[in-house]
Amino acid sequence: MRRLSSSSSGQGFRLLAKLAFLAAAASLSAQQTPESATSLSREVKDVFERCAKAVVKIEATDQHGELSGTGFFVDPTGTLYTAYSVGGEAENVTVEFKGKKYPARQLLADLRSGIAMLKVDLASPALPIGNSDQLEIATPVVAIGYPLDLAETPSFGMIAGFDRKCFGGYFPTKHLRVNLPPQRGEGGAPLLNFNGEVVGILLYSFENNSCYALPIEAAEKIRSDFVRFGEPRHGWIGANVAEASAPVEGSRAVTKDIVKDTPAAESGMKPGDVVLQIGRTKVHEPEDILDASFFLTAGDVVPITVMRGSEKLTFSVQADFHPASQPRPQLLAAPPLSNRAMPLNLQSAPERTP
Amino acid sequence: MDEFNDNEITKLLRLKRYEQPSPGYFENFLHEFHRRQRDELLRQPLWRICLDRARDFALSFNLSTLTSYPAAVTAVLVCAAVISLRIYQAPQPATVAAKDRPVLVVPASTEPEWTLASPVATRVFNTRSLRNIKESAQTHRSGTPRYVLDSVPVSYETTFKF
Repeated sequence: MRRLSSSSSGQGFRLLAKLAFLAAAASLSAQQTPESATSLSREVKDVFERCAKAVVKIEATDQHGELSGTGFFVDPTGTLYTAYSVGGEAENVTVEFKGKKYPARQLLADLRSGIAMLKVDLASPALPIGNSDQLEIATPVVAIGYPLDLAETPSFGMIAGFDRKCFGGYFPTKHLRVNLPPQRGEGGAPLLNFNGEVVGILLYSFENNSCYALPIEAAEKIRSDFVRFGEPRHGWIGANVAEASAPVEGSRAVTKDIVKDTPAAESGMKPGDVVLQIGRTKVHEPEDILDASFFLTAGDVVPITVMRGSEKLTFSVQADFHPASQPRPQLLAAPPLSNRAMPLNLQSAPERTP
Repeated sequence: MDEFNDNEITKLLRLKRYEQPSPGYFENFLHEFHRRQRDELLRQPLWRICLDRARDFALSFNLSTLTSYPAAVTAVLVCAAVISLRIYQAPQPATVAAKDRPVLVVPASTEPEWTLASPVATRVFNTRSLRNIKESAQTHRSGTPRYVLDSVPVSYETTFKF
């Protein structure tokens, strides 16, 4: 009897073991099938969990009434970026952080870039700044925002393009076109890569499931101006560029006219010069001027390389304030070598193209 | 003491040993005690009774300082002064600063809930001085706010100028 009982319990144990093995195998196969999907969602979740704490809801009032948008901290002292439409012309700005509302004050509002910087007097987490130049088409990105009156929400998408022209006009600099579904209230939300670094600021919706983001380098340029001068200082030298009929040295950007009494005119630039490089930005098309122009800072000296006929010339030009900038404080005296034509090799004959 | 010597005292104590209370004495003792206590109590005026009870109540919470009348009066006066000061110093309702606001020449948008944007040609992008809006930041908000996400850029570049 005891033997019979022992035998039946052994069979039961083996049956249970087989069932457990089958269940484990089925579970493993079920997990392996959408492996890529789970990996992706894990990445998004990881970015969300790491970065959401530095993303805040912004509430304010403006001439149209109350508004709500998104912003994010970029340093541990409570400085945050948001969209111009959220914090640029608003009053009574409050930032909701960790369930509490804090008053915020405006540091700057820059209409050209479309961003505003706010300051909250608290110790805050901060998102690391990434590099949007490393983005490629189809690079996955995550946005974290506050849609409507909902809690912080991740949105997943990918880089769809790098545009300078849209809506019948030109952006002040290259913008990131992102295929992710933006929602109202997410203006000013950070666009993050999978390392959790900010690569852009969500500014405009585009159709239903696309949006435009300002590259973070453009926002950082504005912040750099603020740190240096206490305000954005968009630079301008006074040259208008058109498209040349044929490329010269790989560039189709030819100066159409030079505005009188501007740094360009004083430096010796002339209509017909083909622009090859502005600062560190190489110019191939007239649209490249937009990027180069945006990163000019009034008061800074920038080298501009042009082709004049067969000569390659470099001018050191001290940028003036952009005509649309207000106010326009008086710049300090220009350095001795600025705003004067300067051959590429001062001690030798100008470089000639073959 | 001179009338009694030690022997007499001893006799009396011996007699006491055999002394018994009347029947029902112990049963009625507590009742009689309470009756006499109430009688004693009711001889006092009502205000004295209330005062005693209030003091007993305070002492039960170990607030010994309240038993000092000058300290209690001082505390009451200080509380009244603080409360009245706070009432007089209550902030006025925050007013939304409308001064120094540039009048925008923005046409009414077709989607007012969606956008604040307008072509840059009608606007001047300028930088403004710091605005301290802390004072009015606690303004009560009511109703549904406008959830911001622009559908067009707030500024355009018209030509390739630099």
